[in-house]
Amino acid sequence: MLWLLVIVVLVVIFFVSLYNTMIGKKNNVNNTFASIDTLLKKRYDLIPNLVSTVQQYMEHERGTLTEITELRAKAISGNVNENQRVGLENKMNKLLGNIMVAVENYPQLKANENFMQLQRSMNEIEEQISAARRAYNATVTDYNNAVEMFPTNAMASVMKLATRNLFEIPEAQRENVDVKKLFNQK
Amino acid sequence: MKTLEELGNYYNTVLMPELIKLEEQRKQVLKKVCLVNGIVLVVFIAILILLFVIKVPIQAIFFGGFIAAAVIVGIYKWLTSAYVKNFKSGVIENIIHFIDDHLNYARDAYVPSSDFMKSKIFSQHPDRHQGDDYVTGLVGKTRIEFSEIHSEYETRDSKGRSTWHTIFKGLFFIGDFNKHFKGVTVVLPDTAERLFGGFGNFLQKMNVSRGQLIKLEDPVFEKEFVVYGDNQVEARYILSTSLMKRIVDFKKKTGKRVFLSFVGSKIYVAIAFAKDLFEPRVFKTLIDFSQVVEYYQDLELVIGLVEDLNLNLRIWTKE
Repeated sequence: MLWLLVIVVLVVIFFVSLYNTMIGKKNNVNNTFASIDTLLKKRYDLIPNLVSTVQQYMEHERGTLTEITELRAKAISGNVNENQRVGLENKMNKLLGNIMVAVENYPQLKANENFMQLQRSMNEIEEQISAARRAYNATVTDYNNAVEMFPTNAMASVMKLATRNLFEIPEAQRENVDVKKLFNQK
Repeated sequence: MKTLEELGNYYNTVLMPELIKLEEQRKQVLKKVCLVNGIVLVVFIAILILLFVIKVPIQAIFFGGFIAAAVIVGIYKWLTSAYVKNFKSGVIENIIHFIDDHLNYARDAYVPSSDFMKSKIFSQHPDRHQGDDYVTGLVGKTRIEFSEIHSEYETRDSKGRSTWHTIFKGLFFIGDFNKHFKGVTVVLPDTAERLFGGFGNFLQKMNVSRGQLIKLEDPVFEKEFVVYGDNQVEARYILSTSLMKRIVDFKKKTGKRVFLSFVGSKIYVAIAFAKDLFEPRVFKTLIDFSQVVEYYQDLELVIGLVEDLNLNLRIWTKE
């Protein structure tokens, strides 16, 4: 009788620990996603500043600047789902990258102290976003492993937990910079 | 980094006169050391024979031998101290200035144990912390300091006999890091994972005293190092993909055990060396280019950290 009780208790402890592991991993994923989100919001705060500093100098880039402003407005409006959000971010990354490259054509702008400060802040934010993305991907990998590997996969299917997608590193950042193309872009 | 040819020129023009002077002194010192220690040795052997004759217990003879060895080492240190002093200001200091003119050198100073502990690389508190050859200054925009360090702790057995254990011996470097951060990130040589593979990884996760285990995506880096920190995102902010690669390359270049940590916007690097660094030779001639190259390479290794880890790159908010 006693040993039966011991086995039951052990089994219960086993399942509780499986359950808690899964919850812990799921929360880690949410947590790191939130840190990306905070950093992206920080970047939105910088964008109006950037646009207003840059637009007096960059006449040829007017179109890109308006596009950036529109994207920002859309992203902070709050009525986009997670997938659309990632799409917007990717587009934003690309446009901001273009602006930073185009700066090379405006020596006056490059010497502007206000702009230099902004450029540093943008670099900082980009570096932090990339770190947060890598942290997110690491926790998602950990979580996905638990969802698919035995014995946690059984618990995951009971809890209806599905694997999550990794944050893709935007195509624009993955490509090697083609310097020739940049110079012909004017 | 300067070429070997430039070092050769420097050796022939600046160092040579110094070395010739020192070589003269070395010969005199060597003579004295041989003479004095020879006398000590003869006296000791005479006493030893005497002790044998009067049949003193063997322990006493061992004890006497121990004292004689200590006396010989003491005399050696005392006789060579002036020579070592001249050597350091004449040769080591000049080589440092040859590498970078803005660096300052203090022969007897070293990185204090408080800074050593601040790095959080070693958790054992030292009971004896010594060192020499302290270098400080600016390399480009980056403030650095480093010195040779020998840090030990003491244990006592049940009979009260003490034993000293080395915590760290080698070069200890502190530099200004080019990004701001608040937490602690420690990068240690990875022994567990190399020995036990996946199980080693499990052991590392259990090592709670170090904080969270941070698994990074660079497989080469992960094989060489294990990273602990208190913030997953911040650790990755510091250890960017390019810095990870640079650290691996640096480790390969040294061929030594390399420990790093990032605390309070500073980077701490400890490179383990078995030999005593930047000490002159007494029993061999000083006028030897290959010896100078060795001093130079050891110094360049640490000073070159600024370039190797790209610490002068200041495109982020930290000026």
